[in-house]
Amino acid sequence: MTTSTGAKSAAETTDPGNWTNRLRGRVEGLVPPGQALPDRQPIYVASWIYVFGVLTLSALAVVILSGCVLAIGGVQWWHASSLGHYVNSVHLWSVELFFGFMVIHLWGKFWMAAWRGKRAMTWISGVLLFGISIGTSFTGFLSQTNFSAQWIAGEGKDGINSTGAGAFFNVLNPGQMLTWHVVLLPLVVVLIVLIHIIQVRRHGVVPPLDADLEG
Amino acid sequence: MRSLSIVAEGPGRYISWGVVQISVANLTIIVAMVILFVLALVVPFPSGHGEEADQERRQK
Repeated sequence: MTTSTGAKSAAETTDPGNWTNRLRGRVEGLVPPGQALPDRQPIYVASWIYVFGVLTLSALAVVILSGCVLAIGGVQWWHASSLGHYVNSVHLWSVELFFGFMVIHLWGKFWMAAWRGKRAMTWISGVLLFGISIGTSFTGFLSQTNFSAQWIAGEGKDGINSTGAGAFFNVLNPGQMLTWHVVLLPLVVVLIVLIHIIQVRRHGVVPPLDADLEG
Repeated sequence: MRSLSIVAEGPGRYISWGVVQISVANLTIIVAMVILFVLALVVPFPSGHGEEADQERRQK
């Protein structure tokens, strides 16, 4: 219903049949109020081991930004241009840091049993992210356009093909591997990162084991 | 030509221990990560943020 002045009635703005209302409700309910970007954390978070999650995210941001610059120059840019070589190196080393930070984050969370307190989905999304990141990195090494990429493809083809995935994931097809690397897999990685962060914000950062026993 | 020069560098150095074989580069990275992990557990985190700092400010 619309009034003579064009203002929506209260009943109309909360109409459960309206998919925009339902979507807004779902988005608003993703994390508790004030927890999307909190500026205070429990005291046990004041430890360096809790820093590695955000370090992983920071490295991922550099990976994506440097990858976007590489996409402008093209896959062979780094062979002929010193700037391209530099950006390619930034991309490589940010990936190395991404995996290094992620594995230390994983060690820390494993030894504090971070799946406690209804945090199973946080743990599972992290495991998925780890596995898919390895696949994304693999397609990156296949997209180097050099002998190393050829050798990796040659060594990997039988293993991949034996799973049946070769029909749509042919490691001997550099064009296909490049599109998996720059479009499909990054989309999946970013999506799971968002799910992972939402889960962390929903359930809070896991307390240390002794703090949990005391609480 | 750069890629050819990389190929010509030859294989890396490896350490063999029974059935375990690992390159020196990979072993170095793993050791560095373990050291970083231990440091993250034992090095004190700078204070001034969080709930404890809030409580201290309230008491003053």
